[in-house]
Amino acid sequence: MKDSAATFLPLSPATLHILLSLAGEDLHGYGIMQEVTRQSQGKYKLGPGTLYDNLQKLIQRKFVQELGRRPGDEDPRRRYYRLTSLGHGVLAAETERLADVVREARLRLQIAKPRRA
Amino acid sequence: MLRPLYRCLLRLHPSGFRRRFADEMLSIFDHSVGKPAALRLLVDGLLSLARQWALRPEFWHELSPAQQPAADGIPAFYTLDPFRPRAGAVIHGLVLSTALFCLTCFAIRYSWIHILHVNIPAVQFDSLRSMQPSAGASATLERPTVPPRWQDKAPIALSTASHSAPVAVAMQNRALQPSATHASETLGSESPERSGRSPELLSTTPVPQAPLQPYVGTRVDQPQAPQPKPQGATSAMIRAVAEDVKLDAAERQRVIDGAIANLTKYYIYPDVAQTMADALLAHENSGDDDAATDGEVFADLLTRQMRDVSHDRYVMMVYSTVTKPENPPPSLEDVSRYRKEMEENNCTFEKVKILPHNIGYLKFNEFPDASICGTTVAAAMASLNHADAIIFDLRDNPGGYANMVALIATYLFDHPTHLNDFYNRSEHSTEQSWTHPPVPGNRLADKPAFVLTSLSTFSAAEGFSYDLKMLKRATLVGETTSGRGHVGMGHRIDDHFTIRVPGIRVVNPISKTNWEGTGVEPDVKVKAADALKTAEKLAERRLQKK
Repeated sequence: MKDSAATFLPLSPATLHILLSLAGEDLHGYGIMQEVTRQSQGKYKLGPGTLYDNLQKLIQRKFVQELGRRPGDEDPRRRYYRLTSLGHGVLAAETERLADVVREARLRLQIAKPRRA
Repeated sequence: MLRPLYRCLLRLHPSGFRRRFADEMLSIFDHSVGKPAALRLLVDGLLSLARQWALRPEFWHELSPAQQPAADGIPAFYTLDPFRPRAGAVIHGLVLSTALFCLTCFAIRYSWIHILHVNIPAVQFDSLRSMQPSAGASATLERPTVPPRWQDKAPIALSTASHSAPVAVAMQNRALQPSATHASETLGSESPERSGRSPELLSTTPVPQAPLQPYVGTRVDQPQAPQPKPQGATSAMIRAVAEDVKLDAAERQRVIDGAIANLTKYYIYPDVAQTMADALLAHENSGDDDAATDGEVFADLLTRQMRDVSHDRYVMMVYSTVTKPENPPPSLEDVSRYRKEMEENNCTFEKVKILPHNIGYLKFNEFPDASICGTTVAAAMASLNHADAIIFDLRDNPGGYANMVALIATYLFDHPTHLNDFYNRSEHSTEQSWTHPPVPGNRLADKPAFVLTSLSTFSAAEGFSYDLKMLKRATLVGETTSGRGHVGMGHRIDDHFTIRVPGIRVVNPISKTNWEGTGVEPDVKVKAADALKTAEKLAERRLQKK
């Protein structure tokens, strides 16, 4: 699983944020956009065009599963999306990769943790 | 305002994307607060539109449902595009395409400019092969070297080969079929000598024309016109086929009815046609026609009656003692005969030479069919290609084919040029005549050009002169031309009577008129005999100025 997930890396920022937003719970498109904004503290805003462009790719790659509409929702047009196990794997692999990148960056930039006195 | 715009943007997305996400995207738009946010979403929609069409062809269509294996060996078929248009869209498209189709058909049929019908060879001007030398100066001209047979040919009229039944096509005009048609020599002439000719003499007068040849008597008003010489060799044959027909009231009635029908249908001016029809009926009712039991006399009478009120010397009733077949088609023999004649006569190109001061001189005595004489024209023009000026001698040119007018004029222009239009009254159609695309290597397009004219310059030759004058491309030197700007056709009434009706009007695109009746006025008016010398001097002076 891990090896197969590695073939999809690295992920684009939009993909990463979408997968990350779906890691907690199933969300509809508008919810994903809000969650992405929250995660990035407003620094990264996803437009619906970009969101659904990425979602259709993620659905096709089976990282994300479309759940359909939920009865009683505030807006009946909304559809919900869920992260699949493959999507989980890919997100985990990307997180590890990014952690390696951060670690390597810290080493190169000599941004070590402050030494204790 | 912005929401419909956003909806339009979503509708423009590929069907696969639109069906799957458009509702959700619109939902997000509906949740946006404030105009700036809506505008951002609009920009996002635009970018998405471009991205989906340009970069995501794999998502243009909805993904096909998972393919089910064929059951029991029955093959299953899948379409690549499951999208089906709405019924409303189909109806909309049907109505639109039908309307567009009707509009196109209407434009083709009723457009003033029939650009699709630019079919120059279809129109043939008069090909007047005058039986007699013209009066005045032209009589003193050096006679063409064409064989005497051409000299003896009767005036051949205008016709349009493309028009159906009653039209005498060019080849028929050329066919030297012996005929007892003899209206042309007598109609319009007050000469007692003519009117007193006996039927025997007339019937032995061979007029080398096809039976349906229109406008036989195009030169009848010229009193100087001598009579054609009887040719005994053909007279026997004519007698063999001639019938002695005595007209009764019923026959006269039939001829008058036929004349009125054809005038009303074809004559170039409907009001004049009606006047002539009224005159024919009035004369009939008053008994003026009762005494005419001879076909020729009756034809003359009707011609006079029509001309008295129309003042059109080209409308004519023609009587033939030879029974005329209905709509005789042009035979291959006619075509080959014409071709052979043209070959023997060098396509009537009499003189092609370089005059002093490197002035090209081209004398041709007809505008023959370009499809047969195109190579002769090319050779003649090639031999004059290095001239510094060019003179076209049309003083003995009785006209011919419009396609040859266009072909020769082509050498004087470096771009296709609109020469004139042919308005057909009965068909309410207009055909344009243009020069051809420039001839490769042609150097005459910017050289001074002169056209020599005379009283004998007729029909298509007048058209050539008139067109170049209107386009300010040539200087006309000589005499005012004959004045034949209408194209006519012969319409068969019965076995013996044919009426010749001017039915097509030449319209110059610049002057919006033609030379009918007035002739083409030369720029430099001199006697025809002096035209060449005058033109040479003018050309020489023009070249010295350069």
